[in-house]
Amino acid sequence: MNDIEQLVATLSSDMQPVKSAPHPYKLSLQWIGAAALYLLVTLALTGLRPDWRESFVEPWFIAEIATLFALFIVTALSAALLAFPDLHQKRLLAFAPVVPAVLFVAAIFFAWHSDNPPAPLPEHSIECTCSILLTMLLPALWTFYSLRRYASTHYRLAGSIALLSAFSVGALWLRLHEVNDSIAHVVEWHYLPMLGVGLIGLWLGRVLLKW
Amino acid sequence: MSEQNDNLEGLMRQSLAGDQRAYAALLTETARLLKPFLSRRLRFSNEVDDLLQEILLSIHKARHTYDGKRPYKPWVYAIAKFRLLDHLRAHYADHLRHAGDYDELEEILPDDVTETALSYESISAEVEKLPAKQATILRLMHQDGYTAKEVAAKIGMNESAVKVAAHRAYKILRERLER
Repeated sequence: MNDIEQLVATLSSDMQPVKSAPHPYKLSLQWIGAAALYLLVTLALTGLRPDWRESFVEPWFIAEIATLFALFIVTALSAALLAFPDLHQKRLLAFAPVVPAVLFVAAIFFAWHSDNPPAPLPEHSIECTCSILLTMLLPALWTFYSLRRYASTHYRLAGSIALLSAFSVGALWLRLHEVNDSIAHVVEWHYLPMLGVGLIGLWLGRVLLKW
Repeated sequence: MSEQNDNLEGLMRQSLAGDQRAYAALLTETARLLKPFLSRRLRFSNEVDDLLQEILLSIHKARHTYDGKRPYKPWVYAIAKFRLLDHLRAHYADHLRHAGDYDELEEILPDDVTETALSYESISAEVEKLPAKQATILRLMHQDGYTAKEVAAKIGMNESAVKVAAHRAYKILRERLER
């Protein structure tokens, strides 16, 4: 009996009925539901920005929130697909976060252009980044814990997308909580750190999701 | 072809339900399917066998990510490609790390090695005179192309012990060839 035959015999004797992983749509819905609930609870505890009625008539603010929300949804779906070795044979959908990301950057670009005269900069700066990072911790932990139960063959990308999804939750919370109209501040301290988080996600994916 | 695909998916569905015979048949068929795929991409047959075993283990580990409702082959090839890339990455990283070992071998040989009485045969003869373990290590590393790590796994030593033994062997060879 050669090595392969021996291994086949060992593995097959170990085979018991297996519960299949949930469909990635179902998996992402679980993540999205939990993260949305977390966002609502956090907003209920910290409070919605007092000027939300005025803000939600600003077209570029609405576009920013809508594209950020889309980014959160699509990254969660993509992370769920990336948890499967074959991306559940939905390769295009796994790389779909590119679309909301481009729309999001466009919305920010137009919001910046329409910020004329520029709104005054708030006094705080890095506190915003820290608040977002703290808020994203719980969704990030949960997503990574869940991802580890599957078998990603794109573990770096899965880590990065999962972290971006969690970051979107934190960024959404802060935009809906903080009274701040300075798009320069928002870009610098809310959204640029997203790039760093994406890179950290690549590294974390390699460390935590490799199997 | 389609019948074979249906068979594989059917076998996987039966396997997931706990049918051990179906699972054995599926793994055997998968190994048969993957062997030419790996052979085309790797140089040594023992490398192919080692990697094939690793892939079968990965399939076993990831079996819960297949639901039997989508084609089996893309799923299994995704795992095979993943393990192959991992293997190649580790292999080349190891080669780069140990590039120094080969430099060392070049240094110990006289400059005019190809123009003098020193030939492949004479070096091989000297290698054969080394203690059995050192000779095996040099043969595996320089004739069969294994890395120190792979040699270690093959002969049941740890990697640093293999490097030390190779280093000692180079020293002995140098002394003998310089005589």
